[in-house]
Amino acid sequence: MSRIIRTSVLAVFGVIWLLPVYLFVVNASKSPLTYTSKEAWVPTDFALFANMGEALQLSGLSASVASTVIYSVVSPLIAVLVGAAAGFAIVALRLRHGFAWFVVIFGGTVFPLQMVILPLFDGYSRVGLFDTQLGMIIVYTAISVPFSAFVMRNFFTGIAHNVFEASVLDGATTWRIFRTVYLPMASSALVAVFILQATFIWNDLLLGLTLSQSDSVRPIVTTLSGMQSTYGGAQLSTVLAAGVLVSLPTVVLFLLTQKFFARGLALGQY
Amino acid sequence: MSALAKRTTPYLWSARGFIAPGVIIVAVLLYLPLLWTTYLSFTAYDGLGDPQWVGLANYAEMFDDPDFLGSLGNTLLWVVGTLVIPVGLGLALALLTWNLPGGVWLRLPFLIPYAISGIGVGLIWSFILSSNGALDQALGFFGVDETPRWLVDAPLNTVVMIVAASWQGIGVNALLFTIGLNSIPKEPLEAARLDGATGGRLFGSILWPMLRPLTTVVIGLSIVASLKTFDIVLGMTKGGPGRASETLALTMYKETFVNSQYGLGSAIAVFLTVVTMVASILYLRQQLSKKNEI
Repeated sequence: MSRIIRTSVLAVFGVIWLLPVYLFVVNASKSPLTYTSKEAWVPTDFALFANMGEALQLSGLSASVASTVIYSVVSPLIAVLVGAAAGFAIVALRLRHGFAWFVVIFGGTVFPLQMVILPLFDGYSRVGLFDTQLGMIIVYTAISVPFSAFVMRNFFTGIAHNVFEASVLDGATTWRIFRTVYLPMASSALVAVFILQATFIWNDLLLGLTLSQSDSVRPIVTTLSGMQSTYGGAQLSTVLAAGVLVSLPTVVLFLLTQKFFARGLALGQY
Repeated sequence: MSALAKRTTPYLWSARGFIAPGVIIVAVLLYLPLLWTTYLSFTAYDGLGDPQWVGLANYAEMFDDPDFLGSLGNTLLWVVGTLVIPVGLGLALALLTWNLPGGVWLRLPFLIPYAISGIGVGLIWSFILSSNGALDQALGFFGVDETPRWLVDAPLNTVVMIVAASWQGIGVNALLFTIGLNSIPKEPLEAARLDGATGGRLFGSILWPMLRPLTTVVIGLSIVASLKTFDIVLGMTKGGPGRASETLALTMYKETFVNSQYGLGSAIAVFLTVVTMVASILYLRQQLSKKNEI
């Protein structure tokens, strides 16, 4: 009996929770020609893909999409490797004062980004990194390294040290042990960190707002924010379609991987 | 001696080489800017010429500024609101889906919003809450014609933005609490059930104490995240009307990049950082001392 009540309560609230998503998609699907703000709840036509195509032409969204794909692949990739290297140095190579060095790296994530954006803007302008893809890749890498080092250090702590010693007896160099023994063993953790950081970068607003201005460098969420204040009225359905386009990849990725993360979190791996 | 010998490594240079990239990236791109912001907070600077040392003048100006104080008030409202709603409802949701067949599927609708960016959430909710928008139309359907101006009247606009943020954040809190519930050992639960404990008693005497460490983490994360609230406010009201719904993170951004008040902006950033640190430390200390009493 209580099982039925629980299921019903959850189903009702689940539907309520999905209403904003319903409104989002329904209104993003309305053709700008017939769009009216008066009938938000009623689906009229299905022009979602046409609207997305239209949105890609506005505000240089298509150029933003291309750049953002680069940022959210390259930066987390570098960051997981840098983080894994740090974890390897501390755990496998038993770096002196290893924990202190770990705190130094992890400490980079404990304060708000507001604390670093002005000097980054100033410094980037001086050295020519402002409004460049390279500059964005570097800053996204930097903010991803602390969490990556945190997870990878934890993961490597779970690997018996005699794995390392056995490899040394086989005559392998440390670089070779890192590349052929530790990295492959950590592949699940590397993938998890990569996905989390890629999602974070994909959804970033503040760094894009501060460190870029041209269409081809601006990340998509920043571009979407600009579109929202520029276009209204009949073009609102196009802006909503841009919002769906920007949100879809992370929602799909998150839903596909949430079980995997729940299991990892439960095992205390991440 | 042996302990010391164990800690020294024959791979000194190799280890330094492996940790160097991480340390260098974090030092150059995060710590150096952090120090520079701290320095700038004691100066008058607009990006041109050199920063002029003014001591604590920026901090004094900050606390004399009604806009800053309003922003501080809004931020506190965010901290309290996102503690009560997403953490409380997240726990309720986790308890409802716990051990329920199909619970994984029933949780999905709450997880979707989490993957949407703050600007995306802001876009959806400003569409819903606009005047004569989806919510007003729905209320009109039920005969309510006089509706408040959701995004205009303060502090209502901050409250509805907290609701939007809760819509986004509840699922992940539920996921964390579910993980906590699943990791509770089965024996004490069975024993309590055999003793006839159900519902409220089971929760109060077994589940809540056992969830304590995880609750600490969830609440801590929630406080830190709400102090940094920026994306949703920019996406829904841009801090307006005027500056009525700004949060500290947004005020810092506007003073710095819109008004070119680098010194004042830096002082707000330092203040925000200090508040975040103090809140985390106080909270953790309080939780740890509670633990010791048991």
